[in-house]
Amino acid sequence: MTTNDHEQLSHPQSTQSIDFSMVLASAVHDMKNSLGMLLNSLDELRQEQAETVGDSARFNTLQYEAERMHNDLVQLLGIYRLGENNLSAHVEEHFVPDFLAQQMARHTPLLEGMGIKLAIESDEINGFFDEDLLTGVLNNTINNAIRYTKSMIKLTAAMHDEFLVIGVEDDGNGYPENMQHNGTPSFKSLNFNNGSTGLGLFFASSVAQLHSNGDRHGYIKLHNDGRLSGGVFEIWLP
Amino acid sequence: MTEPTTNAIGASFGKLSYLVVDDFENFRLSMRQILRNCGADKIESVANASAAVQYCAYNHVDVVLCDYNLGEGKNGQHILEELRHKKLLKRSSLFLMVTAETSKEMVMGAREYQPDGYLTKPINRAMLEKRLGGLIAQRNALLPINREIDRENFPEAISLCLQTLPSQPRYKTWLMKTLADLYYQVGDFSHALKIHDDVLSQRDLSWARLGRGKILIANQNYDDAAATLKELVSQHPDYMEAYDLLAEALEKQGRPTQAQQILEKAAEHSPNALLRHKHLATLASSNQDMPTASKAWRQTVSLGTYSIHDNSEHYLALGQSLSDLSEGDSSSEAAAHADEALTILRRMEKRFAGQEDIKLRSRIIQSRVHAGQDRMNEAQSALDSIADELDPDLMHPDACLDYAKTLFRLGREKDAKGLLNALAIRCSDNPLLLQKIESLLDEPVGFRQKLQARSLNRDGIKAFEAGNLEEAVTTFNRALDIVPSHAALNLNLVQVLMKQHQDTTGDRELLKRCERCLEKLVDLPEQHRQHRRLISLRKKLEGMMS
Repeated sequence: MTTNDHEQLSHPQSTQSIDFSMVLASAVHDMKNSLGMLLNSLDELRQEQAETVGDSARFNTLQYEAERMHNDLVQLLGIYRLGENNLSAHVEEHFVPDFLAQQMARHTPLLEGMGIKLAIESDEINGFFDEDLLTGVLNNTINNAIRYTKSMIKLTAAMHDEFLVIGVEDDGNGYPENMQHNGTPSFKSLNFNNGSTGLGLFFASSVAQLHSNGDRHGYIKLHNDGRLSGGVFEIWLP
Repeated sequence: MTEPTTNAIGASFGKLSYLVVDDFENFRLSMRQILRNCGADKIESVANASAAVQYCAYNHVDVVLCDYNLGEGKNGQHILEELRHKKLLKRSSLFLMVTAETSKEMVMGAREYQPDGYLTKPINRAMLEKRLGGLIAQRNALLPINREIDRENFPEAISLCLQTLPSQPRYKTWLMKTLADLYYQVGDFSHALKIHDDVLSQRDLSWARLGRGKILIANQNYDDAAATLKELVSQHPDYMEAYDLLAEALEKQGRPTQAQQILEKAAEHSPNALLRHKHLATLASSNQDMPTASKAWRQTVSLGTYSIHDNSEHYLALGQSLSDLSEGDSSSEAAAHADEALTILRRMEKRFAGQEDIKLRSRIIQSRVHAGQDRMNEAQSALDSIADELDPDLMHPDACLDYAKTLFRLGREKDAKGLLNALAIRCSDNPLLLQKIESLLDEPVGFRQKLQARSLNRDGIKAFEAGNLEEAVTTFNRALDIVPSHAALNLNLVQVLMKQHQDTTGDRELLKRCERCLEKLVDLPEQHRQHRRLISLRKKLEGMMS
């Protein structure tokens, strides 16, 4: 549990130039671990103080925002490794319903606290993907759905055109027109001015891209044609 | 929200025994509570590594939930290695690494021992119930197979895998990997290869390509192995096991320098793997790249502090390479290396105090380090401190070899040669050792001189092949100034001189110089790799002189 500092940076004064992205990456790493501890304490607190904080809106906000930061930092590290050309997809075969159930479990306490229902609708299929990378994507997407949904979030999985399609649907107002698209946002399209940077989508589509089979690559798709009539996020994996 | 589970999952949790390892009491308590809520009953918890190992030595544990970061001392990976290495944990038991990291980098330590799963903090009940529940279900489904593997009844395990495959599509990957590994273990490489090829024919999966590379190496098909693994590394620059295997393939292909470069890259990506650093250190030493070797041995020693893989050999090797690095160099950097060598060796004497020979091995190197810094009195007194153990007939061959190296450095060339000749007779059935003896007799000098002589030798050969006989002679002579008794070098020079004799009018002075070279090799033992060449050149020379 103790935070272990593996500082591999040489002393700034002794180097000619500071590798700032590396400084950032190790700081992010540290912050992420701290947040992990914080989230752990929040989970424990929720259990210990079930009566007082169980459905407290402020406590839910606290946990939600901490989760969000944690996800952001995980993504930042992923993008850093992507930039260092040190991230690749280690694809293995997984039983999809089991995988989705595990993803759902992580969010259960918060969703129960907020009174949001979470359901899984998955075919009994095996899929090929990198478990860790997809966990990162889904954590973020579910977290995002929590923000915009009214009462329910649904995880779906099915095969379409020889792609495994994993979806996250909500019953909120859906994605605005300009966000609905297929394919890959480029790094340049990230917008740092309007609060929502699209970093999550950039990460998700990078992860999708890393999944390939033959000459087919994965991609993401955003639309509002779901059965819950809210937004639908889909990651298509070949 | 906290009512105990009563369904089938709860029942399966209840049948097993658990060990929770974490240095924080709060976490141990909350983990215990979560496990109870999932239906578990037999739960023990401990705060540190030694208590964990101790507990597993005397109790049966089905599931270990171990925190990776346990503060000062051993971490979760060390515990995993120790439990599996000492066989305190059966294959049918589950080891789960609990980690604050989302990436596995920190944990990507040893290649031999992997946990059965990772749990990423924060952990809540729903998560644990799903993740652990899934692993327990898998464990139960595969228990008959793992039991046979624990009993080392591999053929039975293989047929069980084959039986289970059609009925358990959910565990297909595990079954295929295990099957391939079992075929590999029993030496049935063609079936092992077929498993991977079948998987790859459907989809390009990195684990199957890695497995394929491993089998190709075992089949001594090094070229295909290297090609496959090179491609794998370029597509998955974060796949450490692929680097290890690629280095092995390159080494077996006879490309030690490339192999070293690959391992250097891997060691940079994953700095916590002791065995990888050790592999790199060994390779760099044999490549005479002493700076890299010292660095890698230093890492190996330091990573050994809490590891089951710790070994006095690592300290000795670090001492030796630092000795090589500092030898005959009076710079302050060299002095620091010499000091470090002495410190490391003294530390080793304490850490491995009970081990036979440890003082002997240590002082032999210490003496050489002193000699390399021109401190002849200290060098001598280091040897005096082990005088009663320096018996060439009883010393371990490795110690003997090292002692001879020290004697050369002390200027006692005759003693060193006598020692090595006696050793060669004593160990005449050990070709590897004989080869080491030859190398030391050929090049009883520091690694810098060795490298210089080797490079001159290569230049000489190039000049000879280009027809520049005069230049070849000069170059070989310069090399022989450094290593006068080097067998191959002397014979190279003889060959050039003979060629010159043929090409010119037959200058007899050239033949006399040949004679002098061959005289230097009069004591060359019969088992020496150059012996046959020596005999044939001697005959040829006799013919030319008559």
